[in-house]
Amino acid sequence: MYRKQVRRRRAVLVVLVVLALVLISATFSQSSGGPLHTVQQGMASVFSPLEEGATRALKPARDLVNWVSETFNARGENSDLKSDVQKLRARLAKAQSAVGENEQLRKLVGLDQKGVLAGYKPITARVIQRPQTVWYSTVGIDAGSKDGVAVNDPVINGDGLIGRVTDVTPLTAKVTLITDSESSVSATVLPNGPEGVAEPEAGDPSVMLLDFIDKNQPIHEGQMVVTAGWSNGTISSVYPRGIPIGEVRQTTIGQQETYQSIRLEPFADMRDLDIVQVATNGPERPGVPK
Amino acid sequence: MIVTWRIGLRIALIMIVAVVLQVSFFSYLTLFGTTPNIIPLVAVSLGLLGGAMTGAVCGFILGFVLDSVLLATLGVSSLMLLAVGYLAGRYREGTEIANTLIPPIMIGVLTMAAQAGFAAIQLMLGIDVQVSLLVLREIFVQGLLAFVLAIPFYPLIRRVLRPAIVDDVVAGRRMRGPISAGAPRQRRRLSRRRAPRMRRATGVS
Repeated sequence: MYRKQVRRRRAVLVVLVVLALVLISATFSQSSGGPLHTVQQGMASVFSPLEEGATRALKPARDLVNWVSETFNARGENSDLKSDVQKLRARLAKAQSAVGENEQLRKLVGLDQKGVLAGYKPITARVIQRPQTVWYSTVGIDAGSKDGVAVNDPVINGDGLIGRVTDVTPLTAKVTLITDSESSVSATVLPNGPEGVAEPEAGDPSVMLLDFIDKNQPIHEGQMVVTAGWSNGTISSVYPRGIPIGEVRQTTIGQQETYQSIRLEPFADMRDLDIVQVATNGPERPGVPK
Repeated sequence: MIVTWRIGLRIALIMIVAVVLQVSFFSYLTLFGTTPNIIPLVAVSLGLLGGAMTGAVCGFILGFVLDSVLLATLGVSSLMLLAVGYLAGRYREGTEIANTLIPPIMIGVLTMAAQAGFAAIQLMLGIDVQVSLLVLREIFVQGLLAFVLAIPFYPLIRRVLRPAIVDDVVAGRRMRGPISAGAPRQRRRLSRRRAPRMRRATGVS
């Protein structure tokens, strides 16, 4: 009797492990319209109203816990912020003079004054699922195909680039963050414009690495990095040009290296995303599937 | 644990509430630089209360639901959670849990193991960029948070599943003491209703 029970238990365990492995390989091998994906989307659609309701109902409790946690962190941040204010004040003076020059130049060359999302229809959405893993790879938002959201639409928030839409259900969408290990964004350093590729340092959402910048290019701490909107006519980046990504924090030039090692700090805090904007119905970008 | 269909419903409810709470509440909290994760906590608790089979099956289902809701790679969470649920269950079957600190410690340790395993699977599935050491710190802190969260959550889950837990049923009977001749009729009826379940659980006919 006991042996029979043990055998049955082992069989169930083996079946579950095999099933999990089959699920992993099937998810990787099937296309986005496959049956497993459809089941997944169905379950996500069933749970999404429940999640959304719970997210709103539990907001006061969440805010309370975060307030306590932030109060502890605020002490340390205070001294850091004071030194930042001094630096920023100096940079503001420079920036204000640059803005005046910029406006004059724009008038001269007749450029339009629209924002970086010119040609897109921005849709505001709320983050309803935050990253569940230590890799900070995806979030869920409460806007889906019914709102006009499509795969590969760029997603931003008030601070800068967040990522792009990689999966859509009628009511929700999955956004793959720029800190996802498979993400890479063509980027340009302002103001002189050397172009490279911004990649994450997996597991740390506050650091990104800018690769493929020639070591002879002068890059300094504090320079802003924006999307390059790269295109060669056949293939192109999913992101339009000019969306802020982050700021250069550190540059290292190795003797034997061709490229510089540049560390960025993303403007957007991937740990604390709430309201985001999806840039939908944008202009056709060559090689970017919709 | 005696898993009747009513207990099955309670377990399903626990799992759904856990997933909704994790997605809608805990994932928004930032404590010591990381977010608490109650999903491994629930899988391990069910394993500790129900045994290896219950832990493994519940872990698998929890992982499947979580991956579906998050539109993540199906099977990854299931594999890790079924492993920790099974291990917790095996521990319970082989050892008597005499100290009240053992379940939170088990939950903390197995949460760390689940997070480390999950990170390792993700690495194997193709992370080809530089990996930060911060990941190790996050795994450790998540284990500590799971230990702290287990202090209220484990007794709560135990309470919800109390009618199915053999130790609790037996302890409840012992505490109540023998029924005296003049005891109210309702109390006797309750005992009669529980008697077959007690016989099945204890093996005494």
